[in-house]
Amino acid sequence: MACFERASPALKQILLQLYRADKPVAVEHHLHEFGSLQYHIQSYVSEAHHVYLSISTPILSTGSSILYGFPHYTIETVKGICHEVVQIVEPAKTGYQLTLKLDFSKIPRKKDAVKIITDISSVQAVILSSQLRELLKNVNDQEISQGTYKPIKLVYHPNEPFYVVKQPAKLTVVFPIRFKEHSDIIIAKAFFQELVDVGNSGACARAPPCYWSPIPPPELRGESMKDLSTNGGFVSFEISARHIEGKKLDKTVWNLLNFNALVKYHVKCTKGFVQRRMRSRLQSLVEALQQHTGMEEDHNIAKVKGHRRMKKLIKFTRGAILMKRWNLRNKIKRFRSRIRIRGFKKFQRRWLKLPSFTSVTSYHKLEKF
Amino acid sequence: MASSVRLYLTCIRNTLEAAMCLQNFPCQEVERHNKPEVEMKTSPELLLNSVVICRNEAEKCLIETSINSLRISLKVKQADELENILTKKFLRFLSMRAEAFQVLRRKPVQGYDISFLITNYHCEEMQKHKLIDFIVQFMEDIDKEISELKLSMNTRGRLVATEFLKQFI
Repeated sequence: MACFERASPALKQILLQLYRADKPVAVEHHLHEFGSLQYHIQSYVSEAHHVYLSISTPILSTGSSILYGFPHYTIETVKGICHEVVQIVEPAKTGYQLTLKLDFSKIPRKKDAVKIITDISSVQAVILSSQLRELLKNVNDQEISQGTYKPIKLVYHPNEPFYVVKQPAKLTVVFPIRFKEHSDIIIAKAFFQELVDVGNSGACARAPPCYWSPIPPPELRGESMKDLSTNGGFVSFEISARHIEGKKLDKTVWNLLNFNALVKYHVKCTKGFVQRRMRSRLQSLVEALQQHTGMEEDHNIAKVKGHRRMKKLIKFTRGAILMKRWNLRNKIKRFRSRIRIRGFKKFQRRWLKLPSFTSVTSYHKLEKF
Repeated sequence: MASSVRLYLTCIRNTLEAAMCLQNFPCQEVERHNKPEVEMKTSPELLLNSVVICRNEAEKCLIETSINSLRISLKVKQADELENILTKKFLRFLSMRAEAFQVLRRKPVQGYDISFLITNYHCEEMQKHKLIDFIVQFMEDIDKEISELKLSMNTRGRLVATEFLKQFI
């Protein structure tokens, strides 16, 4: 599965870190992207300025035959990324299809460095695009001359194959659309409807004509039922010569590779948008209920009451209750007095007592000895 | 607002005003229990005739009344598949957060999209006419929200489609 951005952000970050490092460092990273794409980045202290980048990516298969290893034209394209910096190591590291030796000492130390590293990080996109580009260029001409337009099934992801049918004046690319959830299908259908409308409108008159149909288009007649059974219908693009000439070829190939991912991303974003909108609407409806029923005021009153109660509760904590019940405060004071003389109280009462002048009617308590 | 909608909503408002004369009434089956009779339906003498107000096949309102409670069930119009999923999503979203509304039922009555349950306690706590105002405004808002959501989704789709096709040019 392709990604919207050609360069892998994680790979780019690691390569930039290695490039900007002052000292040679020993690094080994394993990166996994989209489930089936793997990168292995390795650098050694002994080999300053050299980084080994190994890549394992799902190879474009034409349905019937599965290719092992990259074809010649792909290797050539990879070599063309930046031939001074990138060198292909033969044989590739075990478990990977391609190993590149990057020589950072040959990267100019200024503006171009980031651009070159970004180019190197987009090696997987280069591999994918080159495969499809080559297929589009070298479709069997004999079949066309005989008038039998056999569709070529392209599989990057097992669940997302698509078909390319080459006809005399155009190329038809057909995407069978499948989704797991019913709501996704409906959102995607609404999007396809807009896509068809925009394609037919004047604003995008030069864009490839786009069609959507719930049944397989006639070009796919003869394909297996399993491949043609979809729940989201079929989207077709008619690519003419002007869409694949010169620099446009790269863009067209990349857009076609990303179409499935774009649809899924759009569906996901739309669902998120609906969720956000519903959340804000809920808030406004609750506010409306509170306004209508005057619950807001009651709520405020309840809040104030609750506050007072809480204050009271804070006063009557467990410690405070115990203090009051057992007169603990006085006891603690007594415990904390610095000098304690046993029997001093008795002595004080007997010998150090001040004479008291009381009235005749007063009552004297007899002291016990 | 279209005149037909206004008539529909006025009819619902008038019916609710007539139906919402609720009083405290303890359960006749269980001692010291107070249950909404419209839900329990234990005593037929405590139930009133239910009223269905239809604007069309796809848009209707069921008002069931009892001595101490009232149940209002709404069926919201769904013109196409997109409106259908939007309505389902939105009303499910609201039903799952029913505690925020107090009068909203967690599960709608069969055949309807959303239901409200109003008891005599709600009428005592809130003002009756304002509660009716809220129900009517809720109905208006739901229709408006679904239409706006649909429009926004189509606009988003159109923008994405335009940007995608522009890349080929």
